[in-house]
Amino acid sequence: MRARFFGASQRGRLLRRFFPWFCLTGALFVVRLTKGAGFTDIYAFLTRPFWPGQAQRVWIQSALNAEHQAKLNLLQQENKRLKMLLSLDRNSVRQGLVSAAVISRRQGGWWHQLEIGKGLLSGIAKDDIVIGPGGLVGRITSVTPSTARVLLLTSPSSRVAVWISRNQQHGMLLGTGTNRPQLVFLNSEPEVLPGDLVSTSPVSSLVPPNVPVGVIQSIDFDALPSPNGRVQLIAAPELIDWVQIKTR
Amino acid sequence: MAKLKRRSVFWLSGLLVPFVTLLSPKWLSLAGVGPCWAVLWLLPWSLEEGIISAVISGFFLGLILDAISIDGPTLIPGLVVLGFWWGWLGRYGSEIEGTLNLGLLAWLGSVIYSLSIWLQISFIHSAFLNNPISGWAWQTLLIQATLTAVLAPLISSWFLLRLRDRKF
Repeated sequence: MRARFFGASQRGRLLRRFFPWFCLTGALFVVRLTKGAGFTDIYAFLTRPFWPGQAQRVWIQSALNAEHQAKLNLLQQENKRLKMLLSLDRNSVRQGLVSAAVISRRQGGWWHQLEIGKGLLSGIAKDDIVIGPGGLVGRITSVTPSTARVLLLTSPSSRVAVWISRNQQHGMLLGTGTNRPQLVFLNSEPEVLPGDLVSTSPVSSLVPPNVPVGVIQSIDFDALPSPNGRVQLIAAPELIDWVQIKTR
Repeated sequence: MAKLKRRSVFWLSGLLVPFVTLLSPKWLSLAGVGPCWAVLWLLPWSLEEGIISAVISGFFLGLILDAISIDGPTLIPGLVVLGFWWGWLGRYGSEIEGTLNLGLLAWLGSVIYSLSIWLQISFIHSAFLNNPISGWAWQTLLIQATLTAVLAPLISSWFLLRLRDRKF
């Protein structure tokens, strides 16, 4: 029966008919599984002449200097505490900064992501943090040879442990799809005020400590199950053309 | 496959969808939200080619668009459902000709597409987000649907006419 219904010539015809479909499906699955490797690289190659100029790069450099000054005070305080916990100093593990142009921006809508014009070949790896002028922008979620994808702090998928270094109140910064992420405090009675600087927490395993993130804009002390606030980000994703990536 | 060879230009134009999505031109967006390019491409193809081609195209397009998006919700279910619906309309419904009809179909398609993403996001992040996401999601859904509906009579209509004239 089997031989009657699927003779050699019929099998050959079936194979010839479906072979291109198998190839196409296989190719698309490869693109999917590699998170667009090849595809975003072609996009980066084609759009290279239209990448943003160097002006904002210089601006970022000067903003970074100001940011480093602001961080100095935080680090000096933190250093005292960390000296007692020697093994927790993760700054020594972090090394270079890589500058990269933003080649695609989807900061509105359902996805809050950036594509940047440098990737594996520049030493960028998954989970490296991305810094804009003055503060944290997000972190790398996938990398191709010449591009990398950044998950913005505003994305609903984003969760970053932060603290108010002034009084060491810890919290979780949750992306809500808007330009102002939600800060959920872990303490039921946080002693914080609008205007307090929010920076990354020393207890975070994802990001290095004390990178400035934003400023508290408003606080709802009556919110349940714990008080929460809105944070105005220092580095607004919609205005950024160049970013710095802290590589491991 | 023979049909695909005949329609190779339009089929290949599907590769432009992820490129335009990545490009996301600012002058075609409101509050950072752009039109749904996948809907604009899938609508004429489905109306003209029938259910099976439309469902397969929706699946393939969803795969590519998932590849260029951060992990989380997938676009495949929404696009496959739209492909099936529009393919069925094209095969068994009355012929869609008016630009208003195309605009309305694109608006509804964009709403279904957005709802499928919204449901997935709500499910994935239900433990963390309740009220804060609602306003943003409504805004995104309405802006995207409106922009898609406005562009459909221009882009999808042109594609549909070319497909019917066998220019692709």
